[in-house]
Amino acid sequence: MHALLKSALVGTAALVLVGSSTASAQVGLTSNVATVALTATKAATLTVSTNVATATLANITDNSTANQFTPVSLTTDWNLNAGSSVRMIGWFATPAQALVNGTDLIPSSKVEGRVGATAFAAFTNGAVGGVGVAGGSLQLFSQAVAAGSYFGTRTDQLDLRLNLTGTTTMAGNYTGTLNLQAIVQ
Amino acid sequence: MGSRTFGLFFALSAFLALGAKELYGQAKIISLAATSPADLSLVITSGAIQTIAGVTDNAVNNFPSPVVLQTTWSVNPGQTNTVNLVAYFLVPAQALVGATTQIPSSRVLARMSTGLPTAFTPITQNAFAGVGTAGGSLRLYSVNIGGSNKNSTRTDNLDLQLNLVGFPTLPAGSYAGVLNLRVITQ
Repeated sequence: MHALLKSALVGTAALVLVGSSTASAQVGLTSNVATVALTATKAATLTVSTNVATATLANITDNSTANQFTPVSLTTDWNLNAGSSVRMIGWFATPAQALVNGTDLIPSSKVEGRVGATAFAAFTNGAVGGVGVAGGSLQLFSQAVAAGSYFGTRTDQLDLRLNLTGTTTMAGNYTGTLNLQAIVQ
Repeated sequence: MGSRTFGLFFALSAFLALGAKELYGQAKIISLAATSPADLSLVITSGAIQTIAGVTDNAVNNFPSPVVLQTTWSVNPGQTNTVNLVAYFLVPAQALVGATTQIPSSRVLARMSTGLPTAFTPITQNAFAGVGTAGGSLRLYSVNIGGSNKNSTRTDNLDLQLNLVGFPTLPAGSYAGVLNLRVITQ
C-alpha cells in the first residue's frame, strides 16, 4: 500500500508540474506583429530671390554701352529629386516694350544681361522649357545637377545694361520689369 | 491548474491507493491535463498606411489619421500580471529611409491618449521584455490582469508625428518606413 500511496503522490506531483509549465508559458506570450507603413514625401523646390527689388540707371548715355544698371545679387536654391540642369531665364513680357517712357519705348534687344564674367547678351532669345517669351528672353546660367547635387544653392551677380549704340533716346524716365525664373530640365 | 483540481486528483489518487482493499491489484494512475491555450492578438482596424504628402522642414508634421488598434486576449490571471503593447522600429537610426538621408526613430513621435505616452513621445525607449529594439521602442500601454479582464478586448488610437524641428533640410523625395506593433504578457 505504501508503494501505491507513493505512486499517487508521484502522479499528483506530475500534474502539478504540468500546471507549472503552463504557467511559465503565459509569461512572455507574444501576439502577432502588426505593422504600420509610414511614408513622408518632401516636395521638390526651386526658388529665386534677389537682394533688391529695383535696379537703377541714373543717367542714360545715348549711342553708348556705358549704361549699366546697379548690380543685382541673384540667389537660386534648389532641392530636387530629378533633372539634369537648373537654368535661369530672364525675360520681358513684351519684348518690344522692355522699358517704357510714355510713347517712347526701348525694346529688349537693347537691354543686355550677364552673370559673372560672361559677355553681355541681349534679351532676344526664345523661351526655355516654356519659361520666357519669344524674342524677349535670355538664359543667364545653366547649372548641371545630378544625384549628388540635387540639393544646392548658388548666388550670382546679375549685371544689366542698355546698349544704345546707334540710338538716341527721348529725355525722361524709362521703367520696365525684368522677370527672373528658374527651371529644371 | 487550480487548487481544486489538485485536490481532486490527489483525493482520487489516494482513494485508488487506500480504499480498494478487497480489489487489491495493480493500481494505475492516469494523469489528466487539459490546457486552454492563452490567446493574444493585435489587429489594426484602420490607419495601417500613413502618408504625409508634403513634408515641411524644421516643423512638426502630423500623420493624417490615428492608427486604430484592437487588442484581444484570453489569459490566466494567475499566470499573467500584465498585457503590454510595444511599438518599435527594427533599425532605429533608419526609421524612415530616403535615397540619401534617413530619419531616425527619435524624430518619430507617438501618442496614445488611452495608454502610457499620453503626450507625443519619441520612439527611443529600449525593448520591453524582449519585444522591440534598443533605442527604437515605445511601450504604449500596460494593462493589469485580474479575474474581471482575463478575457477582454480593447481599442486604442495611436497618433503619430514626424518632428523635424532642428533637423537638417530634407532632400526632396520619398521617405518610407515600417512601425512594428506587438503585444506581450508579463
